[in-house]
Amino acid sequence: MDALQTEIAIWPAPVAGVRGVGRAPSKEQLIRRLGEFAERGNLNKGLAALTDYVGATHYLLARYDLSQDEGLDFVVCSDWPFDVVKRLGKVMSQLHSKTNEMEKCLSVMQPVFTSLPDDIDISRGISREYCAITFNVGRARLSLMLLFPQDVILSQESLRDVGLLTGYFASFTRERGVRTDREFELTERELECLFWIAEGKTSDEIAVILGISRNTINNYITSVMRKTATKTRSEAIAYAVRNNLV
Amino acid sequence: MTYFLPTPRAGDDCKTGRQQARASRAATLVARLQAMQKQINARNFAVLRLNGNGLPASRKLTCVLDNWGADAEATAHELTSAYGEEMLAHLDTSLLPVMWNGMGEYQVAETSDFARFTHRLAARILPYSGIALPVRLGAQGNGYVVFAGSYIDLSSEAIIDLHGRSCQIMTDLLAADERRMLPAESLSDREIGCLQMAGDGYISEEIAEKMGLSVHTVNAYLGAATTKLDSVNRIQAIAKAIRLGYIS
Repeated sequence: MDALQTEIAIWPAPVAGVRGVGRAPSKEQLIRRLGEFAERGNLNKGLAALTDYVGATHYLLARYDLSQDEGLDFVVCSDWPFDVVKRLGKVMSQLHSKTNEMEKCLSVMQPVFTSLPDDIDISRGISREYCAITFNVGRARLSLMLLFPQDVILSQESLRDVGLLTGYFASFTRERGVRTDREFELTERELECLFWIAEGKTSDEIAVILGISRNTINNYITSVMRKTATKTRSEAIAYAVRNNLV
Repeated sequence: MTYFLPTPRAGDDCKTGRQQARASRAATLVARLQAMQKQINARNFAVLRLNGNGLPASRKLTCVLDNWGADAEATAHELTSAYGEEMLAHLDTSLLPVMWNGMGEYQVAETSDFARFTHRLAARILPYSGIALPVRLGAQGNGYVVFAGSYIDLSSEAIIDLHGRSCQIMTDLLAADERRMLPAESLSDREIGCLQMAGDGYISEEIAEKMGLSVHTVNAYLGAATTKLDSVNRIQAIAKAIRLGYIS
């Protein structure tokens, strides 16, 4: 995942007015440039071009599904000011826990505008609202968040195009990368057990289905609970459903 | 993933009403897909959905909507046996549109300015060329919107437009599902609270203490929720409650 590394730039001086109305590149130019950046695995430049295209000023691409964790690991790449990013983890994990699985699925590729918390300082001329578009690349749930000038209204259609293109771009850099997702720590047998438990089967029943002993099944489940740091079977299943494993 | 229908307790009128609603929803989706198909000069469309999410061995793409007509089943089978596995693997790592050429000399699907952002499948396997747009909404609603034809030549702009609309189609399909999956009787706040805590790893005794109830009451709430969710035990109830969005 060479291009998916955190890179946080410093807040550039006055931003408003830097981008002239007539300077937005055409879609064809954009696609051509994106192609070149993708070739070199340059995610930052690609995102900057997309940000420019849609009329926004700053981009932040984040692993939405990792934001519960402490730290800034969830940021894939960004040119948002560091002090805002630092605060964002909490905002995002709150958002993440407030919505349920179905709502998350239904909100994919739908641009949403949200206000930043009042105590976050942003430079003059930038809107206090940011725009977020979520999408999935494989099992990773990503969110593209854009800051834009106060007086600018972003077009919903361009936003959707930009979301999709970011998805393409991330797929491109991801295909060559290593998959480090947590679920791959679970073995196929363990996943199989989880699946049947979520279907309401007991250990005895699963033993019959898989043709192995009941104790082996219980061992698999204990091992799952250890790996996922869960205390009960119910919690392990909840973890599996939430993380899309069954 | 198991979808379940609410038991049709209310009379037949309600049932036919619901069927009509579903039919009209499908009709609008078909109209939208046909418009997209026409726009890119394709002959057919198909919507494939991924099911059997959990078991790696049983995951497969199923055709849920198409206009192949009489030989729909055979055609869908042909498509999934030719490309199914590769399309599944692709869906797990990438959002890039997938294209392939058909057996005939002029059955090609191409894009001059977007080739870099598309994934090509082996050519000359199927009697038509095509483009498949992967849609990944999350736990539910993953799959492809497929367009098949003889000569398909698309600009980057057309592909992006098509893909955006495909996402919307899949989202609408899923929204229709959500209404269908709702259990016959809705869960009470207490039942939801108990389920949530059970899913968070608390045992009945702890839930009872935190909620100021007796263990028996907690177990009764969990039992009631299990029945309402048409599940055999509390673990299945928790899985279903998360999928249906009752708890997080």
